Amino acid sequence: MRRVFVILSLLFATLTASAQDRRIDIEGVTVTGNRPIKDIGVQQTKIDSVSLKENIALSMADVLTFNSPIFVKNYGRATLSTVSFRGTSPSHTQVTWNGMRINNPMLGMTDFSMIPSHFIDNATLLHGTSSVNSTGGGLGGAVQLATRPAEEEGFKLQYVQGVGSFLTFDEYLQLNYGRRGWQAATRVSYSSSPNEYKYINRDKKENIYDEDMNIIDQYYPEEINRSGSYKDLHILQEVYYKNNSGDRFGLNVWYINSNRELAMLTTDYADDTDFDNRQREQTVRSVLSWDHLRSNWKSSARAGYIYTWMAYDYQRAVSEDIMAVMSRSRSQINTIYGEANGEYSLGRKWLFTASLSAHQHFVLSKDKNIILQDGGKGIVGYDQARIELSGSVSAKWRPTDRFGVSAVLREELFGKTWTPLIPALFIDYVISKTGNVILKASGSRNYRFPTLNDLYFLPGGNPDLRHESGWSYDAGVSFEVGSEGKYKLNGSATWFDSYINDWIIWLPTTKGFFSPENVKDVHAYGVEVDGHLSVNLAKDWLLNMDATFSWTPSINHGEKRSPADQSIGKQLPYIPKLSSTVSGRLTWREWSFVYNWCFYSERYTMSSNDISLTGKLPKYYMSNISLGYNLALRWADFNLKGTINNLFDEEYLSVLSRPMPGINFEIFIGITPKW
Amino acid sequence: MATTLYRISIFILAICASACMKWEYGLEEDFELSNSERGLFICNEGNFQYGNATLSYYDPETKTIQNEIFYRANAMKLGDVAQSMIIRNGVGWVIVNNSHVVFAIDINTFKELGRITNLTSPRYMHFISDEKAYVTQIWDNRIFIVNPKRYEITGYIDIPNMTMESGSTEQMVQYGKYLYVNCWSYQNRILKIDTETDQVVDELIVGIQPTSLVMDCNNKLWTVTDGGYEGSPYGHEAPSLYRIDAETFTIEQQFKFKFGDWPSEVQLNGTRDKIYWLNDDVWEMDVTADHIPVRPFLEYNDTLYYGLTIDPDSGDVYIADAIDYVQQGKVYRYSSERELIDEFYVGIIPGAFCWK
Repeated sequence: MRRVFVILSLLFATLTASAQDRRIDIEGVTVTGNRPIKDIGVQQTKIDSVSLKENIALSMADVLTFNSPIFVKNYGRATLSTVSFRGTSPSHTQVTWNGMRINNPMLGMTDFSMIPSHFIDNATLLHGTSSVNSTGGGLGGAVQLATRPAEEEGFKLQYVQGVGSFLTFDEYLQLNYGRRGWQAATRVSYSSSPNEYKYINRDKKENIYDEDMNIIDQYYPEEINRSGSYKDLHILQEVYYKNNSGDRFGLNVWYINSNRELAMLTTDYADDTDFDNRQREQTVRSVLSWDHLRSNWKSSARAGYIYTWMAYDYQRAVSEDIMAVMSRSRSQINTIYGEANGEYSLGRKWLFTASLSAHQHFVLSKDKNIILQDGGKGIVGYDQARIELSGSVSAKWRPTDRFGVSAVLREELFGKTWTPLIPALFIDYVISKTGNVILKASGSRNYRFPTLNDLYFLPGGNPDLRHESGWSYDAGVSFEVGSEGKYKLNGSATWFDSYINDWIIWLPTTKGFFSPENVKDVHAYGVEVDGHLSVNLAKDWLLNMDATFSWTPSINHGEKRSPADQSIGKQLPYIPKLSSTVSGRLTWREWSFVYNWCFYSERYTMSSNDISLTGKLPKYYMSNISLGYNLALRWADFNLKGTINNLFDEEYLSVLSRPMPGINFEIFIGITPKW
Repeated sequence: MATTLYRISIFILAICASACMKWEYGLEEDFELSNSERGLFICNEGNFQYGNATLSYYDPETKTIQNEIFYRANAMKLGDVAQSMIIRNGVGWVIVNNSHVVFAIDINTFKELGRITNLTSPRYMHFISDEKAYVTQIWDNRIFIVNPKRYEITGYIDIPNMTMESGSTEQMVQYGKYLYVNCWSYQNRILKIDTETDQVVDELIVGIQPTSLVMDCNNKLWTVTDGGYEGSPYGHEAPSLYRIDAETFTIEQQFKFKFGDWPSEVQLNGTRDKIYWLNDDVWEMDVTADHIPVRPFLEYNDTLYYGLTIDPDSGDVYIADAIDYVQQGKVYRYSSERELIDEFYVGIIPGAFCWK
């Protein structure tokens, strides 16, 4: 703690020693009558671009952790990170990138640790019901990720080098070119680290034996995160063109090459030099888009393709120079995507929209090589394809400045099965123009289909699964006040309530493998509160504060699995009831100081909500800070930044037996030449 | 400027005041059972990859259950997937599959005595002598030979016609100098191993995926297959219970189940003249019977039976219910007359038992 205050003191001493004159502007408040008719009743969170671009080492998992009410479950540093939106499971959050759904069709979820936030220009969270405007299946909500043209003329280059604790190296290169309606951008990021952070392992003890192999002493060892190295390469190429006729064309191609070890558990007694447990992935995502804008109508079409190759290898040394394969699985996913959208405004009071999207998946999964009974070779896996169609129409009506109503009807097809019609209704009403106090409410039906692994994985896939279904409602109030150039304060509080039936869960069987079943009926409800403040504290001083708070009971109301079942009426495991974030940014001239803080309440690891000695996940607070400085020279702009993660060196866990790093540091140097 | 800095300082201090946590970890608890006290250890697998396996201890006389005894006695976790346990000379050996470890514990204090580490994926352990034991593995085509006194791996038994990836050796029983092992995952064999040469000397083909192995009072081996699963390239068939003569290593009788049945957990009573198994219900059969009984010993009662053991002294039947696999499982204790004597919660996924 003392060390931290010393660091903070140094930071402020540096701040005060470098004053220069600079104007800082705060935008005026939105006039209620100018609210977009498209967003009637929509509960959404837009992640600001400053948070997305905070530093090049951040993934979307990090950004969501500190800037949204979503719970992010981390399996370690630079390891699988999944989300729980409004008390639901990771597969209940639909994720789109430039309109194309990128949830893994085999697993249903998205690994947010594999999305560098520097590759995202717009990130919007659609809470619960509001996701029906965009896609089906988002029983918890949807995360819309998108890129956009820089809209700059000429050539621009930016290079950022990061060096951090645990021999972490982050490199980021961005090239932009713009001329006469053309915009092109290339972004490259490469991150690598042996990831060998130290921690005190409280889950095991090291033994000291005497000559007769009697234990004479034991202690909790200081260990390193073993076998957790990673090398992630991302390349994004974008080309945009717009003409004077209202047409905009775009091409986005994103290549991922990831090679990550799967770190050992805290309870693992294997020699890490004898075992290699590794996951590799190569993915190409591409979207070709066309948008046509007119004064009262808009049409767009998109086509896309995703190729994913995933490999999992688990090997152990059987001699000095031979690693034998214990497990080898390969999977390939090909997805073809197409979408067409249309919007038509009838005066200022009506907006009609229609949308149709298709995702055709082809999955080849080879999970295990075996020797057959006749001595031949066999492969355990599956080869399946599925078409997923989703179509919607909506009518949005704003008869007065104060009131708006929107109705959406969506229909989906998965394979040969149609969902029942998915209706959604949204309203908003301006309670008071003073303070821009707006009431919003919405309700919808929704469905989520089993993933391809749920249906076909061998062993255990269950082709008899039913789709999950749910009803969701929410209502909230928002406000916005401010004075241009002085301060701006806005916030909202939302109550939500959703029922999900036939929740799919993978359970072990007496045959020694897992199999999915429609098990639970879940009632997820709660409150989300968020607030945003921008204020000019004094001349050249600007403070931005964002805060969120969530209360998310997610209760199992299914039938008892057996007479002894104690899970009914209990909170789902691994979903915190309380979470909160605060993000503060203080800028003074060319300096900026950022403080990110989050809190998660205790998570249960048992469906019965029993807390055992071996099943505890205590609440934790996490604090990260960074200090940045922009230096403008005649020939180049420089950006210098230093970050401290886990400022108070907390010992914490997101998932049982997965150690998290203590205090760690990274510095970044960015250069943008002036041509 | 001074006012601004004052405001900033207040802001920073307020955030810093948001309580730094300190990790709480357990103190060692003293247990002291008498050597003569009988009891039942229950291995609770826990959830794969979550490291929350636990060990429970039940006193059948007082009907008391102690959970998480390994953690409470040692102030550390047992590990990931507690697969099985055996006792030899007052030392309990707990095999923790995905932690690559076998713990030796004092069965009266539950304190750790030592550990054998760096195993591939241990399943079961069998003692050949005080200084030699075998540990079977999954995802390895070798049985590990260990020295329990030195907690060392001393050698391997290579299994023919088995790759690492499809490797699976399971339960072991010994008849004379020969050891018999059932091979389960994507396998269909019982192996015969010479414990003097540590070599596989013979094998017997049974049905698809024999899950367990015991030897009755007449030196007959019993194994039950699960028949594989639908869509398996290895095959899917009706499971069977086999009686195998240990001397001649030949199948004496095959008892066929219905296609789609999932029998498992073959166990013996104390006098080894009755076998029990799970197949939705709990079944009991005389070892000399020539057909499977028409009616089960205990009928399925909305309970997901996962583990089974028979008190070798009283003949009481203990059945573990894993419920939804993410909460404390429950163990039911029935008399040999089918009367419910006791029931108690243990740890997550109680799968294996060991009598003290």
